Amino acid sequence: MSFGRAISYFVREALVGLVRGWKTGLLAVITIALSLFLAGVFLLVAENLRALVAAWRAESRIMVYLSPQASEADLVRIQTLIEAVPWVRSARAVSADEAGARFLAAFPSMADLLEGWDRSPLPTSLAVEADWSLAGTDGVGLATQAWRQDAAVASIDDDRDWLAQLETIAVVLRGLATLVGGVLIITAVFTIASVIRLAAHQHRDEIAVLRLVGATEFFIRGPFYAEGMIQGVLGAVVALAALATSFVLLRQRFGDGLLGRLVAGRFLSPGVIAGLVLLGAVAGLVGAVVSLGRERVDGMRAAAGWGPAE
Amino acid sequence: MIELFHVTKRYPGGQIGLSDITLGIARGQMCFLTGASGAGKSTFLKMIYREEVPSAGQILVNGRNLAALPAKKIPYLRRTIGVVFQEFRLIARKTVFENVSYLPKVLGMDAARQRRLSYETLRKVGLAHRINAFPLSLSGGERQRVAIARALINEPEILLADEPTGNLDPSLSEEILQLLLEVNLRGTTVIVATHDRALIERVGHRVLTLDHGRLAQDQELAPGVVPSMAGRMVTASDETPVSGTGRDAGSKAIVEEHR
Repeated sequence: MSFGRAISYFVREALVGLVRGWKTGLLAVITIALSLFLAGVFLLVAENLRALVAAWRAESRIMVYLSPQASEADLVRIQTLIEAVPWVRSARAVSADEAGARFLAAFPSMADLLEGWDRSPLPTSLAVEADWSLAGTDGVGLATQAWRQDAAVASIDDDRDWLAQLETIAVVLRGLATLVGGVLIITAVFTIASVIRLAAHQHRDEIAVLRLVGATEFFIRGPFYAEGMIQGVLGAVVALAALATSFVLLRQRFGDGLLGRLVAGRFLSPGVIAGLVLLGAVAGLVGAVVSLGRERVDGMRAAAGWGPAE
Repeated sequence: MIELFHVTKRYPGGQIGLSDITLGIARGQMCFLTGASGAGKSTFLKMIYREEVPSAGQILVNGRNLAALPAKKIPYLRRTIGVVFQEFRLIARKTVFENVSYLPKVLGMDAARQRRLSYETLRKVGLAHRINAFPLSLSGGERQRVAIARALINEPEILLADEPTGNLDPSLSEEILQLLLEVNLRGTTVIVATHDRALIERVGHRVLTLDHGRLAQDQELAPGVVPSMAGRMVTASDETPVSGTGRDAGSKAIVEEHR
């Protein structure tokens, strides 16, 4: 039998098997769909968080806060010092009043914090924007360290510190996706293995006849391998459909807000989608291979009445 | 064609299946294997289609040493051997056609060729008209004929039948026996395991008697008292050793008589 004809036969037999044993097959599909769905959720959030952090990083800046005693001359001197750094695009002065106005715009419910002061309690600052790609990690660190040495500088706040923390969270989420997805995939593999084993047990009489007439192991096992792979692919398709539906609903619900951008900013890339489908297929195949170990098939032969003779 | 040299089969636990069997069965021979339950008849057959391997000794089938046959070569051996069992081993959820066409499917024949070959083979066993029936709707004799058709579809060199009439009443047993004799007349080596001594005596041919795994007797019997399909008695003869292979007057006489 040619390879192409064999594959066609395997798929045909597998589809017939799936239709006949649709209840157990459904269990396997749901298990793998659940595994891939949860892994997909983690991947989706991690991917969106990564994209969000990348966008924020592009817009990030360093705030250099001056001490209350700093004079106008100090402000100009420090501004000149900062703007002399090659990767700094600008160092714009933010007066105490402007900072107060910003605070009130951002947190109107906390306006009372600014009341009762002779002058704005917020310090004068310099908002430093830069071309971060030219700066390099060490360059920024060295520059901010030098600025801190100036007596007129009270503190320096680098946006990129908390962006780095968000990036760490994204990495953790990606790791969780791998871990949770991995554990669930292993569970799904064993579920598929059980389902395939059950299907093989139900067909043990036919397997015995196939062996008797001279079918090869490849011919006997092929339909079961195909059945496992089809279950895996169906599980992946169901998971992706559920993910896409959730994505659309969340996008409608949260729009372009932070939460919306975090969970529904953009959908999984075609590469990740293909990867999930492939993962489903491989999980199904592995489940089928695990279920049809040599000793188990021999056991089926014995169960079909082909055991030791009289 | 089939040669056994000091073949012994011991099962785990020490049970003896066969003990030091040495014999040869020529191409085209009709041969009965008899003995009480547990004598080793089924083990003998299983050795030939390599379901079992000997614990000691060698089995050659068409010059191939089965004990040394790699597992991946076993399917190719089995395509040259048809096997029939007492309990038919048909798949109830499959039609007669599907039951018969397993091997053509394995060989990669297209659907039309599978159908044609199955029809031809079923016609030879007189069941072409039941090609779309399911096994449970057939009589015992018809089921056994389907099993024989499945075994014969690739025109095997050897046909092994393990108690093929064990589940059938006498008249159906005669039908099946006649069919096996016809298969033998077409040149196939046929080995029938049966404990039905009367059936063997009616037909004659070579008879191998096993007793607790040992070959107790190897003799050629002339056809004995052969009842016709209608119950008419034909000839009478006691166990008389004869010479020659099984493809002799014995099977021809039986077949002719049944026609």
